[in-house]
Amino acid sequence: MSRGSVVFPFVDIVGQEEMKRALILNVVDPGIGGVLLKGEKGTAKSTSVRSLGGVLPRRTAVKGCRFRCDPSDPDRMCESCREKSSALETEEVPMEVVELPLGATEDRVAGTIDIEHALKTGEKRFEPGVLARANGNLLYIDEVNLLDDHIVDMLLDSAAMGVNYVEREGISFSHPSRFVLVGTMNPEEGDLRPQLLDRFGLSVDIKGERDPKVRAEIVRRRLEFDDAPEAYVKARSQETEALRGRITEASRRLRSVRLGPEVLDAVVTVTSHFGIDGHRADIVMMKAARANAAFEGRDSVIAEDITAVAEPVLSHHLRRRPFEDSSIDSEELEKCLQNL
Amino acid sequence: MEAAKDAVRCAVCSPGVRTVLIRGPSGTAKTVLCRSLSDISGRRMVNIPAGADVERLFGSVDIERFLDTGDLCLEKGLLAEADGGFAFVDDINLMDERTAVMVLDAVVTGRIMTERDGISSVQPADIVLLATMNPEEREMSDHLLDRFDICVCVSPEEGLDARREVLSRRISYEDSASEFRERYSEETEKERSAAEYASKIVPLVQISDELRLIISELCVKVGAEGVRGDIAVLNTAKALAALDRRDSVTRGDVERAAAMCLVHRRRYDMEPPEPPEPPEDQEQDKDEDKGSDVLPHLDDMMFEVGRQFRVIDYLGKGKAPKASGSRNGRRSESESAGAYGRQVSSRIPDGKAEDIAFGATMRAAALSQKGRDHGSLRIVVEDQDLREKVRRVRNGCTVMFLVDASGSIGARRRMSAVKGAVLSMLKDSYVKRDKVGLMVFRRRTAEVILPPTRSVEYGYKLLEDIPTGGRTPLSAALVTAGEYMTSYSRSHPGERCFIVLMTDGRSNVATEEGADPNEEARRIADSMRIPATQWIVVNTGNGFRLFDSASELASHLEALYFNLEQLDADALAASVRTAAGI
Repeated sequence: MSRGSVVFPFVDIVGQEEMKRALILNVVDPGIGGVLLKGEKGTAKSTSVRSLGGVLPRRTAVKGCRFRCDPSDPDRMCESCREKSSALETEEVPMEVVELPLGATEDRVAGTIDIEHALKTGEKRFEPGVLARANGNLLYIDEVNLLDDHIVDMLLDSAAMGVNYVEREGISFSHPSRFVLVGTMNPEEGDLRPQLLDRFGLSVDIKGERDPKVRAEIVRRRLEFDDAPEAYVKARSQETEALRGRITEASRRLRSVRLGPEVLDAVVTVTSHFGIDGHRADIVMMKAARANAAFEGRDSVIAEDITAVAEPVLSHHLRRRPFEDSSIDSEELEKCLQNL
Repeated sequence: MEAAKDAVRCAVCSPGVRTVLIRGPSGTAKTVLCRSLSDISGRRMVNIPAGADVERLFGSVDIERFLDTGDLCLEKGLLAEADGGFAFVDDINLMDERTAVMVLDAVVTGRIMTERDGISSVQPADIVLLATMNPEEREMSDHLLDRFDICVCVSPEEGLDARREVLSRRISYEDSASEFRERYSEETEKERSAAEYASKIVPLVQISDELRLIISELCVKVGAEGVRGDIAVLNTAKALAALDRRDSVTRGDVERAAAMCLVHRRRYDMEPPEPPEPPEDQEQDKDEDKGSDVLPHLDDMMFEVGRQFRVIDYLGKGKAPKASGSRNGRRSESESAGAYGRQVSSRIPDGKAEDIAFGATMRAAALSQKGRDHGSLRIVVEDQDLREKVRRVRNGCTVMFLVDASGSIGARRRMSAVKGAVLSMLKDSYVKRDKVGLMVFRRRTAEVILPPTRSVEYGYKLLEDIPTGGRTPLSAALVTAGEYMTSYSRSHPGERCFIVLMTDGRSNVATEEGADPNEEARRIADSMRIPATQWIVVNTGNGFRLFDSASELASHLEALYFNLEQLDADALAASVRTAAGI
């Protein structure tokens, strides 16, 4: 519900710890594969995602590149960066929340021929779209379940390959498009296509706050923010910077977090205990647990890290009938993790 | 009408009240009221037709300028025009739901985002949205309703005096609008200055912590989920205080605000409130009264209104929304032939292009400009450049179960089969995005128990407790289902509808006095014409009758026919699907 360009400070969102943690873990390790926030109306889903922009770390990109290619990943560079791969200048750019509006048309999502350029010069040139802007950033889709199927297909392709291939209107082009997919939805509005659901690394079910005292506090902060957004944000700048620092530090130390064989055992035990098919959930759980450890400042993953991420990793992969409760039994989980 | 007036006054004076919905049957001056706002506020009002497309709403490429100079610029849409003023949507419930979500989101977040036809832009926008709807035509989802800060219901003025007054004012207005305005200009002026004053003091209005807590308690009680309700009540209460020239919110303000902001947020699957407990003796503080008082009082009110609010008046005489032609289609999505639906891509037209895809056409033309004879034109578009839009409409399916819940012998068994079948279809629709609804008929009437929904959980809860017993008003059921589904299919173009009638086909209540019930039912069946809707009859009788009324009824309805005997619940659902090809 943030109005205009100033967004509510992430650090001041009351409660919803699981949602906030899921978002942060994806920033720490974009390889987790994004997060789907499912929940009731008006539960700060959109506010949280937009607010996240305020605490995102800076990252390294190729200077002047339209796609902000990652200089450390030559395999996924755009053509022009690959050509001059030896002499790339780099710069620090902020990671951003890029929003994909529901009404976006295919040409603006994938990118297409640059009309102005074509008119003026008669040459074909590629004009980047949202998938280009999303590279290295968060791609946020509000009401993701209402997105047109053909746009969803494009997203799925890019999300799977990390590259956007454009073959349309006489243009043949490809560029890197690696993003953290963040979607919000109200389950009442209809469900998500299974392929898309599967694409999200984490999924969090959000419940509204039931304690009137807490609600009154949420409302108080909200109105104070609405009265004077800039001042409100400024007053929280110290906490905001502290969180940004913690996230940046966590992503730096991510690769050095130890993942011993006992951790892999524990992950596999948990996923097979809950009857999860395929390896995607194993991988996601391992990555999420590692990111959690990094965010907590640990050098190795412990049982707590797995407990913390089990529910968001598993809930949407559980094979269940629609009416069964989707929550994970915490006692069962404890049992699986005894050996860790 | 007073509540509606208060609602628009709040919207005029408080920046915290952004979205106002006025519900009511046609002819209750909803529109008149909204339009009078620009007089009171001195702010611009932009009219947004419910059928406006996304391009027109959010802006698209400025074609004239492009043709003139070759520059791609944004031509502002209706929402951007409403920046700093009001956007007015009449009959917002007839707007395509996804479009409505986008519009409300733009208003609530204050940003208009455009990603189309080579344009990528985000514009800030300060808009107050006023909308009306006539619930007889089509309901709106809870999710959309929740985006409205305030939602008030209006009903026609009751009582002869009031009606006479409305009539006489109307006549004098039509006779001479300018004279009328003059006569009421003093009142208008008063409204205007009151609003002006209120908007100045609104930021200064204070509210006690105690009342803040009461607001939140109230929201929890009515089952409002997120905190949008809390925020709306608080802002509205402040606005009401300001309109009353006070600088602090009273309990009365909160009470009025709650009636405006919470009715549409209350959950209708909640238990009715328990009667207020008698106050405990020791808590009886002498004059520090009503801490517990305000809540039960409001609670009662909420339930009464809430219930009324939810009843869909399918017998209402409200005009059905415009039909856009019925089509048969494949499941999920089909290309639409007319210029409606969402644009998904473009193609080279087969013959004359009527629904031109601008971006694609220009992109095609752009590359060949060099060799063309331009004359005085900047850009020359030739026939071979033309592209037309490929649009799609979602071809969902809606299955409405029309169930005989009368008290005949097999009732119990039949009901469990029906529940099973509905449940089975609901589960299926969980994945396939179909909608399932439920109507039952017994005694004298038919009733919509579950309006078509995709929400499995919700449908499931309702299924638990269907009332049974009484006589069989088959004719009434046919008429009701016919009217409901006619209106429904018209407001959901592209949707394929099915009515699954579960009955033994033996009617014993006629709608007309003295008519033969079965005869009448067959006659109604003969004249039944519902666009894009297929009937399916499932015989729930025991099958040993020589004379099978259900199958006869099926032939009068031109329906597909099944016998429940042969089917268990899952099989029934599957058979219905197979037969209907869905």
